[in-house]
Amino acid sequence: MFVHHNTLHAFQHLPFHEGVQAGAALLAARPYLDLHEFREHWRRGRIEDEDVDAALRRTLGPQAEQPAALGLTTLAFQRALLRDVIDEDDDAGVAYRHLHHTTPLHGGEHLEAALARLTRSATRLPQPMPPPLRHRDALVTLGADDTDIAVHGELVRLCAVFLDHGQAMSELPHREHGFLAAVSHLYADGSAEPRACPGVRNDMLALLTSPRTAHDVIATSLTALGVGETDTEAYLLATALALPGWTGMFSRLERHPEEVEGPGVVTLADLLAVRLLHERRATEAACRAAALPSDWSALRERAAAPHTRSLNGAAWLLAGIAASAGLTPDALRDLDDVSLAAFDAALLACPRLMRRRIFHEAFERRYRRQILDALHTVRPEMVPVSIDRPAAQFVFCIDEREESIRRALEERSPDFETFGVAGFFGVAIDYMGLYDDTPAAHCPVVITPAHEVHESAQPAAQHWHLRRSGLRDRWRAASRMVHRQSRTLSGGAGLSFLLGPVAAALALSRVVAPRTSLAAADTARERFAPRPDTRLSALRAPDADTRSTRGKFVGFTLDEAVDRVGSVLRAIGMVRQFAPVVLILGHGSTSLNNPHESAHDCGACGGRRGGGNARLFAEMANTPAVREALRGQGLVIPDDTWFIGGLHDTADDAVTLYDLEAMPVSHASAFQRAHDALDAARRESAAERCRRFENAPLDISPDDALRHVQGRASHLAQPRPEYGHCTNAICIVGRRRISRGVHYDRRAFLVSYDPTTDVDAAILTRILSAVGPVGAGISLEYYFSSVDNERFGCGTKLPHNVTGLVGVMAGHQSDLRTGLPLQMVEIHEPMRLLLIVDATPEAILTVAGRNAEVAELAVNEWVQLVSCDPQTGVMQVFEDGRFVPYVPGTAALPRVTHSRDWHMQGRAHLPPALVTSALRTVGSAHG
Amino acid sequence: MGELTAALVLRWSIVVAIAAPLSTAIGIGLLLMGRAHWMGERAVSRIVTVGLQVSVLASLTALVTHFGFFGAPATGNVEYGDWLSVGDYAVPVVALVDGLSLAFSLLAAALTALVARFSRTYLHKEAGFARFYVLLGMFAAGSQLVAFAGALDVFFAGWELIGISSALFIGFFHEREEPVRSSVRAFATYRLCDVGLLVATVTTHEVFGSTRFSALAASGTLPPLESATLAGLFLLSAMGKSAQLPFSGWLPRAMEGPTPSSALFYGAVSIHAGLYLMLRVAPVLDVAPVIAAVGVVVGVATAVYAAAVARVHTDAKGALAHATLSQIGLILAEISLGLTRLALAHLVCHALLRAYQYLRAPNMIHDVHQHGHLDHGQTLLARFAPRIAARVYAASVHRLRLDERIDGAVAPVLQLARGLSRLDERVSGITSADRP
Repeated sequence: MFVHHNTLHAFQHLPFHEGVQAGAALLAARPYLDLHEFREHWRRGRIEDEDVDAALRRTLGPQAEQPAALGLTTLAFQRALLRDVIDEDDDAGVAYRHLHHTTPLHGGEHLEAALARLTRSATRLPQPMPPPLRHRDALVTLGADDTDIAVHGELVRLCAVFLDHGQAMSELPHREHGFLAAVSHLYADGSAEPRACPGVRNDMLALLTSPRTAHDVIATSLTALGVGETDTEAYLLATALALPGWTGMFSRLERHPEEVEGPGVVTLADLLAVRLLHERRATEAACRAAALPSDWSALRERAAAPHTRSLNGAAWLLAGIAASAGLTPDALRDLDDVSLAAFDAALLACPRLMRRRIFHEAFERRYRRQILDALHTVRPEMVPVSIDRPAAQFVFCIDEREESIRRALEERSPDFETFGVAGFFGVAIDYMGLYDDTPAAHCPVVITPAHEVHESAQPAAQHWHLRRSGLRDRWRAASRMVHRQSRTLSGGAGLSFLLGPVAAALALSRVVAPRTSLAAADTARERFAPRPDTRLSALRAPDADTRSTRGKFVGFTLDEAVDRVGSVLRAIGMVRQFAPVVLILGHGSTSLNNPHESAHDCGACGGRRGGGNARLFAEMANTPAVREALRGQGLVIPDDTWFIGGLHDTADDAVTLYDLEAMPVSHASAFQRAHDALDAARRESAAERCRRFENAPLDISPDDALRHVQGRASHLAQPRPEYGHCTNAICIVGRRRISRGVHYDRRAFLVSYDPTTDVDAAILTRILSAVGPVGAGISLEYYFSSVDNERFGCGTKLPHNVTGLVGVMAGHQSDLRTGLPLQMVEIHEPMRLLLIVDATPEAILTVAGRNAEVAELAVNEWVQLVSCDPQTGVMQVFEDGRFVPYVPGTAALPRVTHSRDWHMQGRAHLPPALVTSALRTVGSAHG
Repeated sequence: MGELTAALVLRWSIVVAIAAPLSTAIGIGLLLMGRAHWMGERAVSRIVTVGLQVSVLASLTALVTHFGFFGAPATGNVEYGDWLSVGDYAVPVVALVDGLSLAFSLLAAALTALVARFSRTYLHKEAGFARFYVLLGMFAAGSQLVAFAGALDVFFAGWELIGISSALFIGFFHEREEPVRSSVRAFATYRLCDVGLLVATVTTHEVFGSTRFSALAASGTLPPLESATLAGLFLLSAMGKSAQLPFSGWLPRAMEGPTPSSALFYGAVSIHAGLYLMLRVAPVLDVAPVIAAVGVVVGVATAVYAAAVARVHTDAKGALAHATLSQIGLILAEISLGLTRLALAHLVCHALLRAYQYLRAPNMIHDVHQHGHLDHGQTLLARFAPRIAARVYAASVHRLRLDERIDGAVAPVLQLARGLSRLDERVSGITSADRP
């Protein structure tokens, strides 16, 4: 199971900027991109001058025109600071550049002058350094041994064996007594103590003879370290966050004891107790060796040294601003003290964090304007509601990865319509596929399903099923045996001789021909024991009390089915003009060599595949009794409409359709047309994905593109089977008619919603309370993992090492790495989700009034909320607590006939364009 | 005629097997130092991969020549003259062709080429992409040198190339601290144990008048003490490279490198190089029963130790490293018992199996979903002697604290060095003019 969520969810009650800055400070991480990254965007035109000015004005307000220093207004001063001054985040780097005269940004003369002037000045601006938070920080600052090396080495190993979910062959003894007790027992069983922590063994043994609570142990250790009452909380927090991944896992399992595998109580206090016992002894030893006091207040005193900005750094700043203010070097050399003081004050008024915040707003603003302008441009192309009956309708998940295939379908024929709805299709179920061991929840994680749905073999195919499952069980037992025995002494020897040559052949085929070898294995399997036809336990008789072994209803009653189908169709506005065939497509992702595989599955299915849900929905919607009941409610599905469920694999772009044999013959030609279009569209979509992959050529044909993505999905070495949600930026909630025809570059979640049929915003409330948090969660997780991939993300995948089946470490022992890997976010642009809603501000505010989480996201600006009036198309941006009318720009939207003409021109992010062939035009279906 | 052709083909195929990867590595290294920005990933990986494939072909050619494809079967020493000579001490450049050298050469060449292919995808867009391939070429050349070396001097050159590339691969992600620390530890262990090989080389020359492996056949004539010393020195160097007790501590740390290099080095080739050395010098071991006994003890102890550690390891690569190590220990014991044929077969099959398992290691979560969860098995020991089992567990989790014990042992030396360095600074502080 995998769920994207806001990495800094605990800070969501604060406004966005305050929240990210506070969270980043706590984790010593970066809250925004770096200044030099923003400058690069500025240089390349991704940010324009007017964006920076607008962001500055928004921050400064009326102050903007006030004089600041060196004859510049505050606006001009800060603009110069953003544009002209090299990144002084790094004092050493500045000194290096100065010494070696690289990047002479403003000519040597200004710099010489600034240096001369500053050398004369008595005071220099302080450079704030983070204060030491615990002993280890102070020791490192003072050049003594880093105690974390020894303590973490010890702790990582202990945490790993304690939290193991079954990767090791032997289990930690006394695990059921909790972490502290288990570690004490290890020492009692003869463990030697780590060299760096002399005395810890005795401490641990003493715990066994006279047991104490973890809290008591923590308190004693803190007292021994000389941490006073007032410092305790900050000290403990810093201690816990020294290994945020493992600490987080303990804390999570403490809150969710049902997720703990096997016996044992997991508590954060135990972890801290063990940690502090070791840390105390390590600290004492290190302090002794370095002749430092181990008392916290005394040590902190020693480590605290005032830091001032280096002369070079200060000179670069002064020279840069002076040059852009038009000061001559001579004037700079003779600058009076008052002006210099004014300069210092102006500088203090706009510290680095502020500069990055301004850049960040400018960065978001440019993209926001491009998208809103594009929507403004296509508005007149919007067609009236009642045009001819569509030839086929396709319902996808709202996922932005489906945007390209939807657009490709719309391009194939103007009378195709596409819809987006959360990919569990309104049926919250515990689904058990034919070869699953247990049912698993296929719905958003906030819902606990009340129903189970099982897939079982058709009676006619029962013998195949038995044969296949028998073979499968034997195969699984054999591979389990090989996995385990090859790691033992005798088994390893025997299996080496038996399997060595086989392994060589496998390795060769899997590396040299990944796609072909996988396909060959599949073909052989299908030949030998084909996958049987199956059916779902979709419906149950109204009074039947069929319950599974877990006590849940198996299948839906008629009333429940009517409710599920009706509410989904109403939510997406599919209440009239049904096409002859309606395809419902869930999605999932298959890839190898990927510890993060389930991060690519469907978020609305709780990180699983939505195929079963789609199939179930289609079956219910095809049931005559369901349709009869819906007709009674005024929702008329014509008799000649047929629903088909399916699964779209976003990694290899395969599409599987279910229960085609149940489709009436009369639909054959309509289905064939839809099927052919879908087949072509997935190839087009694969090609569009390929433009992002540097090892696929830009002129790749759709057929080659399909082979390329299949190759990626089947390659053992492929760290990027797909880019997942990477590049997500927008979420449009509304009729497809307002957004159709625009190329969103696979960056838009598209949620179907028809405001014209929604009385008192009831549907909108349901949609936003699901889509708001989910969309914001995905976008913010990508945001944080890409602004600081080491701290918020989990770094590069290549050294990742699966641990205890609970997570990954980098290398042989490290913190548990959380967040997204570099390979998943490397092309992401960190921005807040641009949430555009096809509803009036009043309707949106009504929703916010009903749902606190939506309100929090909007008011604290964790998303950029835009209202687009359903009648007029007038847009308003939610800023500083109110909706501000948006004035569209005047630049023309680029026009292309086919998407391909637009996106296959390069690998970078694309601004929106108008794709004329994708527009739904009146009467176009027939000529 | 047939014999001449065969000799010529053999002569050149050995040169190509070594030179092809070496030249590509050096070539790319030089180009990169000259900041050749036109060289993209594709060019780098293709050039090195071609070099490695040529090396595989050359190794195969040597193999078929050995079996008489070009007329007469070719075997034994292939002389290339002297590298250098000082007085009557000459360093001969000589290759030795026999079943053993060909098997190791082909194994190393083929696996390196496979890993090169694998890594083209795996390391795509990684900052150290070109560095990885340069190191791979260097390692391939080193392993071919080791495989074909007919004398200890040549062998030592290859041995060192393997050692340095191994250390650099461990420290591949040098922007983090832990890989660098681990890299230094592996390097230090190698250096310590290489002393054995170096002294053994000189001793061999002193005793036999030549460093050729073929000269070792005369070991039977040596006095027992001399043969035991020589065998002991060889064993020491093999123990370092193959991570035998008590030098096993660096192996789990070596998992810091990217997975394909772990597969190649610690699953397949480098970790087996120490065993290859023991196979090469088997004649000396045969006449030194005491050292052979030590070899058996070390091998079996390592095997048991590593198997116990592998049981409790919770991370995919670390468990695999120890599972590998336990087999290495077994093979060392086999060699020491004189079962060289069995040992060679064991070595080759084991290397192939582990290479594949390492390459699949990141797929662990996927595989467990496929074949279902493993339950914690209960060993016989745990059932009948739970107290002892708990003690074994505790010792295994901490890996007997090998690293720390070694640290403790070398601490006085380090302290002395630090003291001397401080003294040196103080002296230079007094004498140097440019210090205040």
